Amino acid sequence: MTDWLQISSNAVIVAFFLYCFSFIAYAVAVGGSRFANREPEAHRRRWGNIGLWLAAAGWAAHLVYFFARWAGAGHIPVSNLYEFLMALGIAMMLAFFVIRFAYRHPLLGAFALPLTIIIVAYASVFPSEVQPLVPALNSIWLRLHVTTAVLGEAFFAVGFTAALILILRVTDFSRTDKAGRRARFWAEFTLVVIVIVIGFLVAVFGFRAAGYHAEFRQETVTVDARGNVIEQESTVEYGLPPIFKPYNSETVSMDPFLGMTEPLFETPSWMNGVNAGRKWNTVVWSVIVGLLLYGLLRLIIRKPLARAIQPALDGIDPDDLDEISYRAIAIGFPLFTLGALVFAMIWAQIAWSRFWGWDPKEVWALITWLFYSAYLHLRLSRGWHGIRSAWLAVIGFLIVMFTLIGVNLLIAGLHSYAGVS
Amino acid sequence: MIRNTKCECGHQNPVGTVLCEACGKPLDEELAASDSVLEMRYDGMARRSQKPHPNPVDRVWNFFSSVRVAVWLIVITLAAAALGTVFPQESAFVNLTDPAAYYRENYGTIGAVYHALGLSRTFESWWFITLMVMIGASLVICSLDRVLPLYRALTRQQVRKHLQFITRQQVVYVGPIQGDAEAWTARFAEILSRKRYKVRTDGNALLAEKNRFSRWGPYVIHIGLIVFLLAVLMRGVIPGWYMDEYVGLDDGEIEQIPRTGYFVKSLGFRIDFYSDDELPEHLKGQLRVKQFTTKAVLYECVAYCDDATREPELKEVAAHDIRVNSPLSYRGLRLYQYDFAEAPRLISVRPTLVDKRTGQSYGPFELPMRHPPLTYSVGPFTLELRDSFPEFGLDENGEPVTLSREPNAPAFVFVIKGPGLPEEGVPYLYFPREADRQRFGQDRINGAAAEMFDIRVMSMEDVEFSTYTSYLNVRVDRGMPYVWTGAAITMIGLVMGIYWNHRRIWLRIDDGVLSLGAHTNKNRFGLRAEVAAALAKAGIEVDAKMLDNRRKES
Repeated sequence: MTDWLQISSNAVIVAFFLYCFSFIAYAVAVGGSRFANREPEAHRRRWGNIGLWLAAAGWAAHLVYFFARWAGAGHIPVSNLYEFLMALGIAMMLAFFVIRFAYRHPLLGAFALPLTIIIVAYASVFPSEVQPLVPALNSIWLRLHVTTAVLGEAFFAVGFTAALILILRVTDFSRTDKAGRRARFWAEFTLVVIVIVIGFLVAVFGFRAAGYHAEFRQETVTVDARGNVIEQESTVEYGLPPIFKPYNSETVSMDPFLGMTEPLFETPSWMNGVNAGRKWNTVVWSVIVGLLLYGLLRLIIRKPLARAIQPALDGIDPDDLDEISYRAIAIGFPLFTLGALVFAMIWAQIAWSRFWGWDPKEVWALITWLFYSAYLHLRLSRGWHGIRSAWLAVIGFLIVMFTLIGVNLLIAGLHSYAGVS
Repeated sequence: MIRNTKCECGHQNPVGTVLCEACGKPLDEELAASDSVLEMRYDGMARRSQKPHPNPVDRVWNFFSSVRVAVWLIVITLAAAALGTVFPQESAFVNLTDPAAYYRENYGTIGAVYHALGLSRTFESWWFITLMVMIGASLVICSLDRVLPLYRALTRQQVRKHLQFITRQQVVYVGPIQGDAEAWTARFAEILSRKRYKVRTDGNALLAEKNRFSRWGPYVIHIGLIVFLLAVLMRGVIPGWYMDEYVGLDDGEIEQIPRTGYFVKSLGFRIDFYSDDELPEHLKGQLRVKQFTTKAVLYECVAYCDDATREPELKEVAAHDIRVNSPLSYRGLRLYQYDFAEAPRLISVRPTLVDKRTGQSYGPFELPMRHPPLTYSVGPFTLELRDSFPEFGLDENGEPVTLSREPNAPAFVFVIKGPGLPEEGVPYLYFPREADRQRFGQDRINGAAAEMFDIRVMSMEDVEFSTYTSYLNVRVDRGMPYVWTGAAITMIGLVMGIYWNHRRIWLRIDDGVLSLGAHTNKNRFGLRAEVAAALAKAGIEVDAKMLDNRRKES
């Protein structure tokens, strides 16, 4: 059992690095075509193929992770956030391969791979220990529900990727009117958000590598459903230096950081979710590190990121991107319906005696579904193509990510993955 | 203004028609004069919602038949649902006595506003249900408004189309051909048949079509959703379709399921924990719950069900180990493992009667906490049960009352009769639990009787108790088959409509010039590639991308 788990965790590392190499190959394919001595088309094909092979090798390692962990844990690894995000990464690569071979588009990988890399890295933020299944999760329907839903969401992710390339491809940097400036702003803003996500990963892994630790004792006062006041004292641990300490708390221990020995601020009282202080502190750190990274990039390339990326996209046909984005979403939609709604309802009926209970996660799955059905209606019946449809695909993916992760972190409910210590 | 809707081909079209029903020529003069790609929605047919001079019914119809309205309804529902997840809904709590206070105290002013706006009951609110009903209306009317014209258009297609209709499709090829036009058309028909197209020819004109069924996908989806929504609505409306009750059972206890003729008995509740070799290294030695099980037997009452004076006659109808993810199911009635409480409770005791005057003991006798018999004979004595209190307490007048029906602090009033006792007997209050005996002062209450008798349990072997109370959720949901049917229909429609696409190819040859147009509702890529491949087989080499009509414009 332990051997399997060891193989599994080694395979993740292999997969992660292969994905990174694959991304580098793709980046060379996209960015280097104008500097290479050979024909741009041949250059793209050559490096695109190298990227594809590396991605395939990475995916094979990722599958080894999945099945080895399955063998080691005795149940399919989709039952906590770590396992779930890993499964999402695997599914995204599968969706990428499907779309890549359907459209034979050599450069999609240049954007699909970084997204997968971010997801895999993000998964590693969460505790990766194998947990025994709580009774409710021990069901064949759980497996069907999660795997099918994740596959649908993976196609949405590929649709998002193509939409993002389309946005970067068609943003017009020569326009100076209001609409043109707005288009530029939002294209850049999207990239900034992505850099902030990377900033989050840098901050978390950086301080984790440095072994940073701070601890607080927090007193919380809640009122239960019967009106009784409950006072609780709990210990909150931080892995990032506390810019914001938990509300109503005192420091137990704190490693100094850059001369900072005391928390600078206190989390406002209205942020009162589980571990609100720690989460807020992490958000603040992500923004700081992300903006620093962004500033550094701007200093190096001396122009907006979107503008720097655009020339590399010259050879890509916007109509193709539009079609790819739409098709990926269309392929994902029935899978998502089946996995995230139908199988979920069947499971809920068996496990919780009702197929629908307006649990936050259920509601957000419905919101995702409603959003993509609006997308399809706007596209098919009202002729929203190109840039408008691309922005919808981007917003849709934001909703997907909120449903997958945001709900778990911000809103508690049945899907809080109980049993995670 | 009354537009002339008669086409130059002689066909009389209804008002609102965009493309002639017969030959496909754009009817609108402005549209006919341009050369933009034609909008092929519903093949340009007139729809009911485009009727001139609408009356009020038409106006309602027109409102709900608009996709724009449908999208707005979806977006509003989506936003409302999102608001409903900001704070927990009231329905998430079992015992919320003062919701307003709860939201104010836990979430501050925002919480109070949230509650005051009714957002804490979003999903039961009249406006949310109204939104659902409106979406339902939109589903029906949008579908009817479009499916009938589309059906008519697709079942009576004419092979020979107007040249403008062909050359203004998404995918177009125009070029010269060699040889006889009819022979070429026949050969091309053969090529397309091999690609599984259904081909019809009319001299030197051709219409090839495949996967028409995928056009019905959206309507099948909408039918499925309607069935689903109606099923959900019905279960709230039709009496007896929906029931949601809870039953708490101690081990060995039998309870009637509220509002039914069924009784359920627990043969025991059990918690299983993961064994050490099932747990990963870092969790070994910890208690991790693997499964909750209630061994349950379901009985149906067959006689004396409503007769308070007699015990109902029960017949066993089903038995099942109810677990999480494995309910007991019998004729639409389902019993789910819902919760449990660790509340040790007496099931029965076997006390002994001690005659203090002689020092002799009699018994023991069996005394169950629930449904105790009315008389007991113990040695020479007879005990008559006058009263029993499952949870003994005193009211404001100091009179004994029972606080609940659960045996939390059971007490029994016996009248002891027998040799050397007055004819009317001696009353005696008995608390089986030692703690209650002390708390309420059994001997003090019994007074003189306590001098004569003692009733007590001699050893723990004479006590049977239940460690847990298992809570079962009992459900009847007769709408479920329809809910699942609706979901299945929706899935079939989705697969039909999305994983297949309807493709049509028209061509005609005029004076040695081939004009070919092709249309699909989805995946132009695939259609272009297919047309290019077919043309290549017929000897015309053309890059698939060059077939894109919009590309040529720009």
